[in-house]
Amino acid sequence: MPGRDYLGEFEHLTILALLRLDDRAYGVTVRKEIEFRTNREVSIGAVYATLDRLEAKGYVKSRRGDPTPERGGRSKRFFRVTPKGLAAANSTQRALHSMTKGLNLIRS
Amino acid sequence: MTPEANLIQPPQLAVWLINLFASAEEAESILGDLLEEFSHFASESGPAFAGRWYWRQAVRTVVHLAGSGRRGAPWTTLAAIVGGYLLALLVYTLPDKVLDVVTFRYLHYWSHHFAAYMFCATDGMMIAHLALSLFVGSTVALAAKEREMVATVALGLVFFVLASVAYLMPVMVRAGGVSFPGMLGLQCADSLAMVAGGAFVRSRRQATASLPSST
Repeated sequence: MPGRDYLGEFEHLTILALLRLDDRAYGVTVRKEIEFRTNREVSIGAVYATLDRLEAKGYVKSRRGDPTPERGGRSKRFFRVTPKGLAAANSTQRALHSMTKGLNLIRS
Repeated sequence: MTPEANLIQPPQLAVWLINLFASAEEAESILGDLLEEFSHFASESGPAFAGRWYWRQAVRTVVHLAGSGRRGAPWTTLAAIVGGYLLALLVYTLPDKVLDVVTFRYLHYWSHHFAAYMFCATDGMMIAHLALSLFVGSTVALAAKEREMVATVALGLVFFVLASVAYLMPVMVRAGGVSFPGMLGLQCADSLAMVAGGAFVRSRRQATASLPSST
């Protein structure tokens, strides 16, 4: 059995959001992306708690942008998925696909 | 976005609350992100809607920060709780001992000032208890370094739950002279005083840390 490179549900959603946003991924855009695509209210605290956890596991990397006036002189923190994070997202995706294959989950 | 919308500030109490629970680095990103979206909502849907949205985000963010803080340093949090609990057990006996000593030493004085004695034995004891809870909270916050709020909130909750459970035991109910709701109120005040001690230490640390950049 391979290592525990599986992601929790919100971790998975967050990594997928980072992949969609590419170099525009920071707190606001990640929160909005997940909210828009999952149709559920997401708090910025949940996003950062997850991103910090993913960074500690080596699945994402962050860097600071420049401070901007509309943020009260505070800087943005941009995130990127690492190759290890991509591999974990793929493992999770494959596991989900394997579990859902043959099930008729989407009903009209 | 209108220039007026830029002038609207988010609820300062909510900002303070996030600052209490977030590290300096976390606060930089979180408060910046929240302000960016708050300004957008204020110009699109009005300040009232934006204010409600900000509060909702702030409360949920604080819950997440408290949870991740506890998981991030479980041993520090546990040590702070155990240390704080032992310290509280030690210092909570002090008001009774002091009152005993003072009562016997100044018995003649108290016999002529019975109302003052009653104040010391009732309200005075409660005030002393709250002051000691504040002291315990501050001490735990000092020891917990950057996890002040997580440690003091956890300690306050542990104290509240343990004291409530102990009071529910029949022996304690017979021995105590305070009703259960009254006791819950007192215990709640003690726990809140511990958290206030943590908030005080956290605020002082932040003020000290921000001094060089503000000059």
